[in-house]
Amino acid sequence: MNWKSCSIGLLLVMFSAVVHAAVKAAEPQRHWAYQPVVRPALPTVRQSTWPRNELDRFILAKLEAKGLVPSPEADPRTLIRRLYFDLLGLPPSPEEVAAFERACSPVGNRPSAVGNLVDRLLASPRYGERWARHWLDIAHYADTHGFERDQLRPNAWRYRDYVIASLNADQPYDQFLREQIAGDILALNSKPETQSSKLIAATGFLAAGPWDFVGQIETKSDVLKRAARADDLDDMVTQVLTASMGVTINCARCHDHKLDPISQREYYGLWAVFAGVKRGDRELDPAAAARRETERKQLQTRLREVTSELARLTGEGLDLADMVGGGNGRGTGTKGAGLDLRTGNVVKDKLGYHRDIQLNRLQEPEWPDANAPKFVQWLFVPDGKAPVPVASQTTVTNLPPTSGHAWDAIRNGALNAQVSTRLDGVDFATNGHSVLGLHANAGITFNLAEIRKASGFAKLRFTAVLGFGAAASAASSRADFSVFAGRELLFQKLKLRKDESVRVDVALPDAAATLTLVATDGGDGIGSDLLFLGDARLSLTVEAQPLAAADRARIETLRAEEKQLATALAAKAEGEKVYAVTSSEPPVVRLLRRGNPEDAQEEVAPAVLACVKHAPADFTRAKTEGERRLALAEWITHPANPLTRRVLVNRLWHHHFGVGLVDTPSDFGKGGGMPSHPELLDWLAEEFLARGWSVKAMHRLICTSAVYRQRSSTFQSRDVRATPGLDIGMSSYRDSANRLLWRQHPRRLDAESTRDAVLAVSGKLNLAAGGPGYRDFKYTEAYAPIYNYVTAETPDQWRRSIYRFVVRTTPHTFLTTLDCPNPANLTPARTATTTALQALALSNNEFILQQAQHLATRIENETDSREAAIRRAFALTFQRDATAAELQAATPLVAEQGLFALCRMLINANEFVYLD
Amino acid sequence: MNASFPCGQQKRFVTRRDFLWELGGGLGGVALAALVNEAQAATSPLAPKAGHHPAKARAVIQIFCPGGLSHVDSWDWKPELAARTGKPFDTTGTVQFFASKPGNCQGSYWPFRQHGQCGRWISDLFPKFAACVDDVAFIHSMQSRSALHGPAMFMANSGFILPGFPSMGAWVTYGLGSESENLPAFVVLPDPRGLPPGGVINWGAGFLPAVHQGTPLNTDLELPPIADLFPPKNFAGITPAGEASGRNFLQTLNRQHAAARVGNTELDARIAAYELAARMQLSAPEVTDLRGESAATKQLYTLADEDIGPFGRQCLLARRLVERGVRFVQIFCGAENTGAKKIRPNWDSHEDLVRDHGYWGRVLDTGAAALLHDLKACGLLDSTLVICTSEFGRQPGAQGKGRDHNAGAFTAWLAGGGIKDGTSYGTTDELGSKAEAHPAYSYDLHATALHLLGVDHERLSFYHNGVPRRLTDVHGHVIREILA
Repeated sequence: MNWKSCSIGLLLVMFSAVVHAAVKAAEPQRHWAYQPVVRPALPTVRQSTWPRNELDRFILAKLEAKGLVPSPEADPRTLIRRLYFDLLGLPPSPEEVAAFERACSPVGNRPSAVGNLVDRLLASPRYGERWARHWLDIAHYADTHGFERDQLRPNAWRYRDYVIASLNADQPYDQFLREQIAGDILALNSKPETQSSKLIAATGFLAAGPWDFVGQIETKSDVLKRAARADDLDDMVTQVLTASMGVTINCARCHDHKLDPISQREYYGLWAVFAGVKRGDRELDPAAAARRETERKQLQTRLREVTSELARLTGEGLDLADMVGGGNGRGTGTKGAGLDLRTGNVVKDKLGYHRDIQLNRLQEPEWPDANAPKFVQWLFVPDGKAPVPVASQTTVTNLPPTSGHAWDAIRNGALNAQVSTRLDGVDFATNGHSVLGLHANAGITFNLAEIRKASGFAKLRFTAVLGFGAAASAASSRADFSVFAGRELLFQKLKLRKDESVRVDVALPDAAATLTLVATDGGDGIGSDLLFLGDARLSLTVEAQPLAAADRARIETLRAEEKQLATALAAKAEGEKVYAVTSSEPPVVRLLRRGNPEDAQEEVAPAVLACVKHAPADFTRAKTEGERRLALAEWITHPANPLTRRVLVNRLWHHHFGVGLVDTPSDFGKGGGMPSHPELLDWLAEEFLARGWSVKAMHRLICTSAVYRQRSSTFQSRDVRATPGLDIGMSSYRDSANRLLWRQHPRRLDAESTRDAVLAVSGKLNLAAGGPGYRDFKYTEAYAPIYNYVTAETPDQWRRSIYRFVVRTTPHTFLTTLDCPNPANLTPARTATTTALQALALSNNEFILQQAQHLATRIENETDSREAAIRRAFALTFQRDATAAELQAATPLVAEQGLFALCRMLINANEFVYLD
Repeated sequence: MNASFPCGQQKRFVTRRDFLWELGGGLGGVALAALVNEAQAATSPLAPKAGHHPAKARAVIQIFCPGGLSHVDSWDWKPELAARTGKPFDTTGTVQFFASKPGNCQGSYWPFRQHGQCGRWISDLFPKFAACVDDVAFIHSMQSRSALHGPAMFMANSGFILPGFPSMGAWVTYGLGSESENLPAFVVLPDPRGLPPGGVINWGAGFLPAVHQGTPLNTDLELPPIADLFPPKNFAGITPAGEASGRNFLQTLNRQHAAARVGNTELDARIAAYELAARMQLSAPEVTDLRGESAATKQLYTLADEDIGPFGRQCLLARRLVERGVRFVQIFCGAENTGAKKIRPNWDSHEDLVRDHGYWGRVLDTGAAALLHDLKACGLLDSTLVICTSEFGRQPGAQGKGRDHNAGAFTAWLAGGGIKDGTSYGTTDELGSKAEAHPAYSYDLHATALHLLGVDHERLSFYHNGVPRRLTDVHGHVIREILA
């Protein structure tokens, strides 16, 4: 547990901070990052022709002060590759490179060509997809809960799409933050409705991290629940404060922060802000949800009228659930009673899991009352693999294979663990209705001969509503349902979802001696397969009844209307949801001594940090928990907040240069790095405000600067000779880490960019934007769901990596090997490692080989000679012409092993994954 | 090649240069050898590193029993509990376990007997292992900070109950690098039934560079031992000769590219990585090919048994990996609560402890005893630390025919690599419900293991989001009482 964490460790940081922080320990509040942002004067520089905009002067002034010189501008091909990957995460096409090279010539046109290119890239929808990745790293976004029972979050993607859309729209950053912290509250006062949906989706930010189902819900121990909730709140507070302000707030969970002037009490003050926040699926548009509910109610009311009238006209049927309870079909059976699948005994108590049950064996019910009607003839548990007997001398082969496990009993009423008896708005547990509980895997056979004899009905019709009695929160488990008359399959619904229901209405053949109902597990185990039938009835078919022509016509009309109503209801089943926050009445928050949830101390009211003094946060007017969050959001995004703007412009700098002006992007405290260019950081923060918190304006400023456009190489002897006075060898010597940016940093593509680039050059990249993520795994529901990765060759699998459905417990092996971070962590900066396993993955992974094959096919279609094919392969992968030596080396490779081998190796080349 | 790999006698190329000549394809020759060595030494995060003090152990084999192994039915003898069987455990009616209210006291389902020179009490669940107790040190006072599988698994493996922290194997390779050039430094052998609770991140690198994450070794003979070691079967057209000439072409491109970018050592490191990958293609299949093992060895690990065999094979593979210089091997004896046939797929025996522990007991007993015997016979036990643990224990108060989770007490044992033979540390209370003397957490177990590897757990740290993180958080004491 995290309580007690940090103390000794932080002493070490303290020590190192003393070494490199030029701050007096006695005055923690004087730490540079807490001081107001002040627009610095532009420095004067000697080499006045080098700067392309103001920010370059800050860089050059430092270089000149150290006797260093900047590097020359990179060539157009290097520049366009850098800008494409940086802003879009994709390579340019050879044609785009050529066009840009033309636009850059003569040299005097280059500034406008670069500016135009940057504008074009920033306007591309691909830009938001690329930069959303950086933000989602900070939000530790994923599409499953994590921990032991790593269940799906099928609606999480709407938050991911919100981030992409916000970035593409260049939504002002302060508003972007406010929406993510308190969008649901802003939505209350917003019009029109589309805006409200967007605002609610934004709060997916607070819910993006891991969440422990077992600790929050499943365990019966309150101690364990409190511990899980404490981690939950810590996760939210930490994410909001580190993402927006670079404050390592979690260090104050168990004691006052060891380095920064943050008290433990302030930490719990922030807890109090979030104390009423829970994670869960939330309707995007509450107004639409209410409308839909009204419409559903109207439809349901009409449906009840229709079915009642039908029942009256056609004669009340015989109730099958009642027969399961030992009755005659007219309400004489025992409510709640069940038939034990193993013994046929009548049971009142709820039963549990049956693993060691004999399969495909017909079991007769053992009625305690010898005079009870013998309408239920057989019970069985089908394995679906061998022929399954449904009655003596009668077997069926069209059942899906099953796990052979079973749960509880077949019941005249709700099953063990059944949480709902409602389907299509009707509660079948109420008077006049019936529930026949039939959990997978189980089958029941009714004796039609006996039923016909007792009822006098000759021509029978079977009707029922079929659905699940499982909790809506349960994952999307599937189950199947089949109806047989004798061995004839009359009805089958495979892979029924938990949120679906089906109306069954079939006429039974005259010759059929038995009616069999079978529930099977849908191939994913029997977890939550709480199937039940509402109003399972046998009635006399209309055709067989002596009815007046008018009644007969009326019945036809009603039947048609019944069908329409059922379809309309199904269409209104569920609205659009997002996995985000749900509000509840916030409980009292107390300071937890040493972070221990079982050691609560004095009450703590919502509050913010005192070390940042730009503005007070007003919680007194916050009547609801949401208004607390809004007050915090206003405080964080206050124009005078010294951290928020500095942190963001530094994050942008980090991604444009590979390292930030502060090299610890989520830690602006005393344990973090000092800014390499403090004045530049403040100048950028001021520009950011002056430009209306526009992120795109900052991108443009940075990407068109001279410092960004430098070459990345360390050694440029030819240029040194050509430019008297420049001595790059000296720069390399004096600032080998390049903190002063006398050159651009070369960079390797991250995992997602590598995958996207491979798809881009193979020609298979599917640019379908938004919507549920692509699932590159086979999902099996179990107590703990199982995710098995597969490499399918379908276009939906070729979408950009930002649209991948991210599983927490089972990370994607290929991408993880390429340094894709674990979404358990807030990741402000990625690591880049170089390993033999990466070489194996890029050489042999099925995805890579498939795409190399597609690339080869693409090239074959686009060229007509071996040499042209080789040239095209280099052009597509490296965005340049092949050299004579490369042509010579590639020719025998292609001759012996085909174009595929060349394509595979080019994707593996350093030049493919490194940017100059 | 196997004939020259008898137990403990790993074939070694005389020099790296020899190795490269033998390898044939690729660049070949002295220049490459020098390049690979230099690039590796300069940039490889897995280059062998000196510890903080001389090490007793060179490698670790950790057997992890997920689900919660019941200490009171196995290694922690509680005669008082046996005496109180059938009497109420909680007279106050206030105790709430993870999933149940406690039933009556329930003594061990297996009788305990004394074994070995040290006279250790071991239950009849582990008859073979009982013969090894003189080589083993037990920690009876282990505790966890969570009684939930997910968080407790994370704690046992990474020192934190939250996901996202580096696992012990990752920390060890981060601290010490790799001794094997041709195999991953940290290898994981998951249970063939599936992943443990919490999934792959139990052997993740957390915020450490990804190079330190555990590499799962596939124990399915139909598949290559390491993911992507070879192209999949549907790319059968790729031939070994073709691979060599393809790589040759690639490295030619890469060297030309690097030549124009002098000073960028990352490029050299990546060139070296492709050569190392080629070596791994030779080494990894050799590890999993058991044809060279004697019939006696196969018998020792009971490989032919349908139930015990898979775990026996994992244990044998662990010995072979350590023999070949792998630093850290983690074996999982059990999976997550997924689709099992007859029994629970791990030690989480809520409803029928005799059935489930009975099954898993035979598995662990045979494999662990075989591993200890074999390591000893090969002369590897002295330099290999063997650890066996679970994420928590089980309750002395019954839950029907099973037992509920118990974070208050469990037992871990260690053997080999600098461990004092036939000893024990810490005790639980008279019923085995809570640690009493010398309570210990994963911090202490990890600190002790790191100490034996020559690493000071307080000095092994990595800066992440404001904190220099450690495997042992801000805790941990080396348990000197169990050191030789």
